Amino acid sequence: MRQVSLIAIALAGSFTAAPLAAEPLKIGIIESLSGAQTSTGRMFANGVHYGIDKINAAGGFNGEPVEVVEYDNAGGPTEAADKFRQAQADGIHIIVQGASSAIAGQLTEDVRKHNIRNPGNEMMYINVGAEAMELTGEKCHFYHFRYTSTAPMRVNALVATMKEQGKLGSRVYSINQNYSWGQDMQAAVKADEQMGDYEVVGEVLHDVNKIQDFAPFVAKIKAANPDTVVTGNWSNDLLLLMKATGDAGLKVRFATAFLDQPGNIANAGETALGHYIANAYDNSAADSSFADDYKAAKGHFPTFVEPQAAFAIGALQDALASISSDGGEVDVTEIAKALENTTYESPVGPISVRKEDHQTIRPVVVSQVVKDAAYPADGTDMGFQMVKVVPGEEAIYPVQPSCEMKRPD
Amino acid sequence: MEFFLISTLNGVIYGLLLFMVSAGLTLIFGMMGVLNFAHASFYMLGAYVAYAVSSSAGFWTGLIVAPIFVGIVGTLVERFLLRRVHVFGHAHELLLTFGLALIAEETVKLVFGDFPVNYQMPDALKFAAFTVFGTDYPFYRVFMGIVAVIMFVVLWLLLSRTRVGIVVRAAERLPQMAEALGHNIPVVFTSVFGAGAALAGLAGAVAGAFYPTNPNMALELGVIVFVVVVVGGLGSLQGSLLASLLIGLFSSFAVGIDWSAADFLALVGLGEEARSLGGLLTMQISSISATIPFALMLLVLLVRPAGLMGERG
Repeated sequence: MRQVSLIAIALAGSFTAAPLAAEPLKIGIIESLSGAQTSTGRMFANGVHYGIDKINAAGGFNGEPVEVVEYDNAGGPTEAADKFRQAQADGIHIIVQGASSAIAGQLTEDVRKHNIRNPGNEMMYINVGAEAMELTGEKCHFYHFRYTSTAPMRVNALVATMKEQGKLGSRVYSINQNYSWGQDMQAAVKADEQMGDYEVVGEVLHDVNKIQDFAPFVAKIKAANPDTVVTGNWSNDLLLLMKATGDAGLKVRFATAFLDQPGNIANAGETALGHYIANAYDNSAADSSFADDYKAAKGHFPTFVEPQAAFAIGALQDALASISSDGGEVDVTEIAKALENTTYESPVGPISVRKEDHQTIRPVVVSQVVKDAAYPADGTDMGFQMVKVVPGEEAIYPVQPSCEMKRPD
Repeated sequence: MEFFLISTLNGVIYGLLLFMVSAGLTLIFGMMGVLNFAHASFYMLGAYVAYAVSSSAGFWTGLIVAPIFVGIVGTLVERFLLRRVHVFGHAHELLLTFGLALIAEETVKLVFGDFPVNYQMPDALKFAAFTVFGTDYPFYRVFMGIVAVIMFVVLWLLLSRTRVGIVVRAAERLPQMAEALGHNIPVVFTSVFGAGAALAGLAGAVAGAFYPTNPNMALELGVIVFVVVVVGGLGSLQGSLLASLLIGLFSSFAVGIDWSAADFLALVGLGEEARSLGGLLTMQISSISATIPFALMLLVLLVRPAGLMGERG
């Protein structure tokens, strides 16, 4: 029946050019909106909504406003798979997700399978935050786009910048969470030994957000006597680690990936001063236009993962603008191809898609926690100050050989 | 020596913290037999109440108000919810309290936001108690340990040396007999439940200022408190203390130990083979330190199903 109607529409389109009911583009946010990761999932959703509001303010797509539906994956892949089926049934064209690589692994496979089974009726997946290497490695496929950095990009940027500043030291300790992301971080820290001219004096993988007491880990770090501790830890694992280090009076510098998660700076207090972070954007790294506009729309300055989600949808907006939409059905493959060719000018530099694996080539911002910051965090007087914006070409890493992408004809 | 001393110190203090959180559950689950999955939610509630109060009335006021408030909430929960399902057994209690735990988590998020709140200890308590091998030992950790010890001593004296203790133990052991002797058993149960909740609230108020107060704090400790009570033996306060200390010490030492199964196999000349197999065999103990409490529980249940100091079984 669907086939028949498609043919009918095609015929109608080609012969009579009669005005048809335009199909609105439907975007589904399948995010952790309840459960332990709500704090992260909600931030991703914020950024996505901001971006979609922009698209709609500029006239939408296909002559219709873009529709957005939120699905709560409750923080787990099983629920996410359920919600994906729901999104399928709702006729969602593009799904967006960011919190948790485990969920991303599930969704990207779901999208891949959907596209095999439904040629001509594809879905695509804009990954705004899941950083596991396998998503652009063995699991890569044409309809997955990763609009975030990965472990090697963050570590490369941190190491290069801190070395340039003479803050890295020669002894580096790596402490990470024991799952794909933490393992990627650990591998990236090890891989940069030569480039950063340091020695990895210890590496630890620990359980994810289960440890209440980091004092034993701090004792271990102290025994190794490092100058810098590199960690990809997020949420409690980062906060508790920093606090325990501060309480023990241990003078080390932290190089982190998620220090800007709201609540961290206030809870860590003075301990956080001087620590580094590498992420997609910082308000101090660009002029205030994006920050002010975001605040006007959402009531607060963009923080944590909101900017990268907003940039991803910004890129989508540019891609959509490059398609001459004629008011018919939404062609996801065409959007994906347009997105591949889109270079989005973010406030900190261009973001483009690498065609071989659909990883974005994007600037990485390295910042440091300072007192009396221009954009204070968590109601304290501390905040982040940009140290360097590492351009995309410098931060990017080679395409993983495991990615064998099959392109649509 | 340094490793040994620091690991012991860290382990003991962490163990005492675990005891502080699970002491209330020893009363509720261990003695009364109420499967209260929401116990850690009382702990979280305590931390949030203390945070809310302390921001206007000071840290110490928060420390007093939190257990009272949580105790009242606990009493209401027992009186109006749990009492109705108690007769249907553990499955109903589990479902009810599990639901309560979920509601508590989402309510806290609605009221206080998704992120950790800025609940800090007063500056007067922010100093190093002493220095061991060049590492400052924060006074607040010692303070938490002291609170836990006081909690233990008071509870133990109350239960074993006072008339109230006798009634509570009688109500738990032989409720019909105690009732026949003129004691109001439902009131005893409600009070014990309220007291257990209040203890969790106090633990939250104390620990929340050291560990971040966030909506996940119940989730993080929710299961481990059951492990403590089960390992220690149902209803045994001393058992809970022992189990907490054991778990604290095991976790602390495990972190410092980089052994893997392959290292043990190397002792009999199989090291290379084990390393080439990889996987579980080369996993270091430190990376699975959080699973040690559960391994300990498994072992205890196999060898001594009643728990370390449990009387039944």
